[in-house]
Amino acid sequence: MDLLRTSVAAIESDSEPYTLVELAGEADVTNSDALREVLDTEVAKQPRMVIIDLSGLRFMDSSALHVILRANRALDRQGGVLALASPREPVAKMLRLTAADQLIPVYASVSEATAG
Amino acid sequence: MAESPAGAGDFRHVAFLYRSDAEYAATVAGFLRGGLAADEPVFAAVPPGKGCLIADALGAAARRVEFADMTTMGSNPGRIIPRVLDFTGRHAGRRVRYVGEPIWASRGPAELREATRHEALINLAFAGADAEILCPYDTGSLTPAVLADARRTHPLLLSDSGPGTSAEYAVPFRLPSSCSVPLPAPPYTAMSYTYRTDLSQVRALVQKHAREAGLPDPRVSDLVLAVSEVAANTLRHTPSSGTLTIWHDRDEIVCEVHDEGVITDPLAGRRRPAPGALGGHGLWLVHQVCDLVELRSDNTGTTIRMHMLIRPRQPAD
Repeated sequence: MDLLRTSVAAIESDSEPYTLVELAGEADVTNSDALREVLDTEVAKQPRMVIIDLSGLRFMDSSALHVILRANRALDRQGGVLALASPREPVAKMLRLTAADQLIPVYASVSEATAG
Repeated sequence: MAESPAGAGDFRHVAFLYRSDAEYAATVAGFLRGGLAADEPVFAAVPPGKGCLIADALGAAARRVEFADMTTMGSNPGRIIPRVLDFTGRHAGRRVRYVGEPIWASRGPAELREATRHEALINLAFAGADAEILCPYDTGSLTPAVLADARRTHPLLLSDSGPGTSAEYAVPFRLPSSCSVPLPAPPYTAMSYTYRTDLSQVRALVQKHAREAGLPDPRVSDLVLAVSEVAANTLRHTPSSGTLTIWHDRDEIVCEVHDEGVITDPLAGRRRPAPGALGGHGLWLVHQVCDLVELRSDNTGTTIRMHMLIRPRQPAD
């Protein structure tokens, strides 16, 4: 089984459609290129909103964080929004220590993220 | 007072070798009062008992001093410079004064090595800064070796013979040997593992050992992150494998990573990365989550030793 599993879905919600990217497993330097390809592909579709569901992620290192920060920059430039949802505590702590949570909103759940 | 060393601009880094609480209170309070009188922002990070001495001596003026408990802020000395840089950054464009007392007698040997390295690195981190830093050293309780290092890491001295320059201060910059010679060997009971790309296995090993050693779960995650960040650098920056060595005793668990990479920046991990920066987070995170980090790097490779306390350290006075 892959160390990092990703799945992408276009969600037609009542309020606003969004792209949901679910990450599960461990995201580190050995799979950050694959994660970058997944996010680049979605960002290229110029979505209004991308939500990354981190609930299945046991571990994330700074390489994966940099990929997410890059995606945030790219989305921001084209007027889109990136949000992170339901990180487990170790991942949430890493987002705080790097102050990434000051740049990218972090929500307790995907539904909270869609409510903005 | 004596003049600053050449090339250091207005930056002054003074070791204050004190003999009594009364001398401490009078001198440190006087230093801070001088800053307040010149409308300079002032910051004092000292052990709590010392903070009380200073506050008592300052009276009402103490309210205008930013205080921090150095036993918390500087428990890992690698976190002190970014905190002081935060302070100077908040007051950019103004001359500032800072009192930092990172060394006390109950620090263990590894902590003392790192606190001494921190004192030396202050000279690099603040070179040319519009700041004066006063570092009190308790001559009554610290060993002659620690006090000798204070003379090596500070260009300026304030002692019972008055203010002056330190003849032992190294120009150009050089770390004292006490904090730059190779680290003492791990115990023979330590476990070693050679890795290349199997970082998940590295993390699993750290998690297993840390739990068995009795480290609480949130700290286990911290240590896993730290070791993984350092091991990731092996993949990023070297063509060869790295070695993870783990050991523990009653008080702490230690993970050491050695590889052929070379870290040339002595301040690596001691500057807060800019918001959204796409680099510089690895060693920053390591210092933020570990209780103590020791780093040795030369052109043959790098060793990073990460310490996590299983039980609390003995507090300072």
